[in-house]
Amino acid sequence: MTTIDASRPIDLASRPDNYLTHTRGFLSWALTLDHKRIGVMYMAAVLVSFFVGGVFALLVRTELLTPGQTIPGVTADVYNQFFTLHGAIMVFLVIIPSIPAALGNFVLPIMLGAKDVAFPRLNLGSFYLWLAGAAFTLVSLAMGGFDTGWTFYTPYSTTTTTGGVIPVLFGVFILGFSSIFTGMNFVVTVHKLRPPGMTWFRMPLFLWAIYATAIIQVLATPVLAITLMLVVIERTINIGIFDPSMGGDPVLFQHFFWFYSHPAVYIMILPAMGIISELISVHAHRHIFGYKFIALSSIAIAIFSFLVWGHHMFTSGQSPLMNTLFSLISFSVAIPSAVKVFNWLTTLYKGNISLTTPMWYALSFMVLFTIGGLTGIHLATLNTDVHLHDTYFVVAHFHYVMMGSALIGMIGGLHHWWPKMTGKMYSEKLGTAACIIIFIGFNVTFFTQFYLGAKGMPRRYYDYLPEYQTYHVISTIGSYIMASGFFLTAYCLLSSLYSGRKAAANPWGGGSLEWQCTSPPPHDNFAVQPSVGDCYDFRALRWDETTQGYVNDPALAAEAARNPLH
Amino acid sequence: MTRRLRPRLHEIRSTDRTKDLAVSTLHTSQATAHEAHGHDAHGHGDHAKYPFLQHHFDTPAHQFDSAKLGMWLFLATEVLFFGGLFVAYAVLRSRFPEVFSYASHYLDTLMGGVNTCVLILSSLTMALAVRFAQTNRTKAMVWCLVLTFMGAVGFMVIKYFEYSHKIHEHLVWGKSFYVPPPDQAGAEEAKVISTAPAPAPVALTVANPAAPSVASLVSTPPVEASAIKPAAAAPGGLASVREQATAEGLPVADNDPAFAHPSMHLADPKMPANTHLFFAIYYCMTGLHGIHVLAGMVMLAWLIWRGARGDFNSNYFTPVDVGGLYWHIVDLVWIFLFPLFYLIH
Amino acid sequence: MIAPLHTLVAALAADTTPQGTAWLPPAASNIAQSVDPMFYAINWICYIFFFGILAALVYFVVKYRVRKGQAFRSDGPLHHLPLETSWAVVPLLIVIVIFYIGFRDFLNISTPPKNAYVVQVTAQKWAWNFKYPNGATSDDLYVPAGRPVQLTMRASDVLHCCYIPDFRVKKDLVPGRYSYLWFQADDVSGQNPHNLFCTEYCGTGHSTMNRKVHVLAQEDFDAWLVEQSQWLDKIPEEELFFRAGPKIYARCQQCHSLDGTKGIGPSWKGLWSRVHGGEGSNEKFGDGSTYASLIGPGKKYATPEDYLRNSILNPGSELVGGYGNAMPSFKGQLNDKAIDAVIGMMQHLDDFDPKTGKYLKEAPAAPKVSMK
Repeated sequence: MTTIDASRPIDLASRPDNYLTHTRGFLSWALTLDHKRIGVMYMAAVLVSFFVGGVFALLVRTELLTPGQTIPGVTADVYNQFFTLHGAIMVFLVIIPSIPAALGNFVLPIMLGAKDVAFPRLNLGSFYLWLAGAAFTLVSLAMGGFDTGWTFYTPYSTTTTTGGVIPVLFGVFILGFSSIFTGMNFVVTVHKLRPPGMTWFRMPLFLWAIYATAIIQVLATPVLAITLMLVVIERTINIGIFDPSMGGDPVLFQHFFWFYSHPAVYIMILPAMGIISELISVHAHRHIFGYKFIALSSIAIAIFSFLVWGHHMFTSGQSPLMNTLFSLISFSVAIPSAVKVFNWLTTLYKGNISLTTPMWYALSFMVLFTIGGLTGIHLATLNTDVHLHDTYFVVAHFHYVMMGSALIGMIGGLHHWWPKMTGKMYSEKLGTAACIIIFIGFNVTFFTQFYLGAKGMPRRYYDYLPEYQTYHVISTIGSYIMASGFFLTAYCLLSSLYSGRKAAANPWGGGSLEWQCTSPPPHDNFAVQPSVGDCYDFRALRWDETTQGYVNDPALAAEAARNPLH
Repeated sequence: MTRRLRPRLHEIRSTDRTKDLAVSTLHTSQATAHEAHGHDAHGHGDHAKYPFLQHHFDTPAHQFDSAKLGMWLFLATEVLFFGGLFVAYAVLRSRFPEVFSYASHYLDTLMGGVNTCVLILSSLTMALAVRFAQTNRTKAMVWCLVLTFMGAVGFMVIKYFEYSHKIHEHLVWGKSFYVPPPDQAGAEEAKVISTAPAPAPVALTVANPAAPSVASLVSTPPVEASAIKPAAAAPGGLASVREQATAEGLPVADNDPAFAHPSMHLADPKMPANTHLFFAIYYCMTGLHGIHVLAGMVMLAWLIWRGARGDFNSNYFTPVDVGGLYWHIVDLVWIFLFPLFYLIH
Repeated sequence: MIAPLHTLVAALAADTTPQGTAWLPPAASNIAQSVDPMFYAINWICYIFFFGILAALVYFVVKYRVRKGQAFRSDGPLHHLPLETSWAVVPLLIVIVIFYIGFRDFLNISTPPKNAYVVQVTAQKWAWNFKYPNGATSDDLYVPAGRPVQLTMRASDVLHCCYIPDFRVKKDLVPGRYSYLWFQADDVSGQNPHNLFCTEYCGTGHSTMNRKVHVLAQEDFDAWLVEQSQWLDKIPEEELFFRAGPKIYARCQQCHSLDGTKGIGPSWKGLWSRVHGGEGSNEKFGDGSTYASLIGPGKKYATPEDYLRNSILNPGSELVGGYGNAMPSFKGQLNDKAIDAVIGMMQHLDDFDPKTGKYLKEAPAAPKVSMK
């Protein structure tokens, strides 16, 4: 049942080649079919988009320092474009591809024990579709931008005079297909490329999460695609399906949109939950508690995600019966989420916790996700949601889930797999400090917004009544703190590329297959078929001072084999 | 279809799996034995034997199964892609049942029926092509692919005639639906009608309960005032144009030539309001389907080219097989579209 | 971490000041009476779970932290079916109870009583219009205290949403549909009128689309209603443009400036000269025609007034070059007298302050009217 072979280190000597140095030149990257390189390119692209989206977020927060105009030149129209861009970039270009396409691409095949994803060419195609989608977003900026909000609600989106609406709709359409193809790739990879011995219930929980995510991507995204095409057609030739003045129904758009976009929330959060399962277990050096419950709760969340879209529309005038059903089913999502949180918590119990940077991110995630999840109760409850809908309470809630959880999970995962991806160790002190700064900044920014929303401050407001200003100022200061934390993170990671010490194959003591190959991994991942055991059984591992990493100890392995855990 | 071939593929797979199992047994029992049974040792033979076999698959069957699963997933996305439009269709039809049963009569059932047959036949030839590919009858396979391609061409030609006829009659989406065809007699009256102010959206029928008062800054909005768009920008007819013409006091005699042409929907006093929505969803759905047929034609042309080059044989027919799956789903969508639009009574 | 604690203390005190409680704004309607306890009950459940989880998290991290090289223990449980089932089932039971109470109350919120006093609400970019049974209209909402009020709402361009935080009510206004919202406010609002916001994003003026809600005692409300319905009629024709004009212009100023600044729509400055064949009358429309080619005897509009009137009622029929079709029709919103007042104001534009639209000349003593 051991997972790490004592004979492993010979790899370093016999195969100095790794995926970064395997071939050289621009084209060797641009035309690569290696999932690791594609993952790294996705990661770079996503982080650049994150920077751009973050700049818009800071502009929005700065503008809200005072009622009325704060930044010279930023009128209501400009502000509307800012928050629309912030939302659209963060959702479609950053969070949705961040974990599945970037980290997932890098980690999934290695974790699974496969040489690549099932369709490497399609994988590269997905990346270029992502680039095309991003390019369309830029084109739309050149053509006058768009001020529809990231939700593109009709009839505003079909009548607004900003010139960039159609290009950005095409952009999101293309990004949708990028996401669909990634999802298809991962589902087939998990089904067909598991090596012998990698049974479903031996898969690391991150793979369960990615698998559940991929199913949502495949099944929900096409509906968004066709909906956006209908909006494009509506805008260009006025067919009237969403146009109330022609007998159409604008609320139908909302149903279509949320049929995708609610599952999309789980496309964002599920993989982050998978990462946290890995992080908590590996950095607490303790077998994950309740593996099956966590794995199946991912599937449960994927299924529920398709049945709750109507809770975005409690005040839109849909029938009370539908509101009731959607409210009830929305509550049911609380169950698998609660199971995950409690199981992570119990994994810490009697663990061997190392407070590494990834562990700090995992702990931040648990706190922030708990707040985000619990405030979801206010919003799923029908009568309180009427008061809170479309206020800053909602803004705070979904930032706790989408940023505080999904993005923090992504950055935690990035720190976790950074040594594997780059072969370098970053400064733990800097990384931890940055994590704590981000955590503090995040809470100052967004917890304040719960107050704002409960007090009645509507979202997407350029101007506001003076009584809300105190909260807005605190929130803006928090966003600056958070931004400085992210800059520190960027410095910490980038500087490690130049001055970081060489990473061991297994710096954290992980048990899943990616820690069996060198850091960075060789071109085709595994020189030999890896043997698959219980990836959460860490008993055979021993800290090795010379390599500054964990190695497999045959004596410990033998002892572990004598005392099976189950 | 693939039954006869299956055993062969399974043979390849099962022998290989046995090898894998043997390897993995070795792994667990004797860690040091790894190197001897590494990646290069196992599967090397298959990769040398089958040039099309990609490095991360063990056997041709493994690659084939993966491609097929991928295609099925893609078909699932296609179903949901069309599914959005089917839901839009259902919503519109439940809101305006009379529109659908009325406007359906403007569609040419014969042409639609012929097209259905053409697609079903092309599905058959596609299935035969897969079969011939599996049995190494390359020439027959190419011919079947060509026949399938011809079916697609035929479908598009018939569709072209249907579309152009309807567009000529202004049986189209949106505002143009209410513009009379230019070559009709009585164009004068028709022009008057088409430029008449917009009527009320039919969706708004709730009476205003407020009592009117002349003294008000704002006079009671009659239902008409709830026009969603500025009146002049609203489409030329949400109510029947004829009703509207009558309401405007325009001469609409029963024997008026403007309304006498049998194919002119605008002349029909029984035409329900919002009939343009039927054509909006009709063009959306059949148009999207048509785009899929075009994509299928590109795919078929590529298959014919590769088939003629001799790429496919009983060991490697994955592109033909998954291409066939795609072509069948395109046909299947039409099988649903045909009754939903043409056969409503 | 401090924030919830602070709230906890404040919630315990549960003081209902005019500023509201720690979390919520003042509770000024019957609906607030049922929503607020629910909100705080959920808050309490959240506090218990959150601080429970946080305490366990901190305790475990402190207690089970190890340093590098320390021997690892492996005696932690791997799974525990009763425990795991219980933390699936207990939250389920809690949320079912929450759901049921929320649902019961929501039915009440979404069913206006039969005897409610009905106010018609129209929202358009970016203004509210409230219309009362006797025909009176207002820009702020006035409601009688102590009786149910129903808002029957529609939007005339895009989605809007009517939200009154102090009443805890909110409902979307969807073009092509009527939607309802109801509440009963028992206390007269006096000097502290309640806020009314648009909470469905609707473009440029979204954030300024907020108004006040005044709750008046029934007698005051009746008196206000009578006065409000008659104010325009009481103004003699010759005083119309400076008495009524600026008040009506308040609804136009979002888009049309008086000082020549380009807004969503063209400025009124110079408009009178443009439509009268003076300076700027050759300015092009979107379709290539000009003011001069459209207005005049025998042309599309016989008089400038015809053109101006049509631009208010059918704004999309001629679009001044460089401007989109953004203006909603005021058909049914402005009657003939009101339109005359607007046109009169355009004619005498020099007499008005170009920034505020205030009448600059000495107005003759007028009967006291209020447009509030």
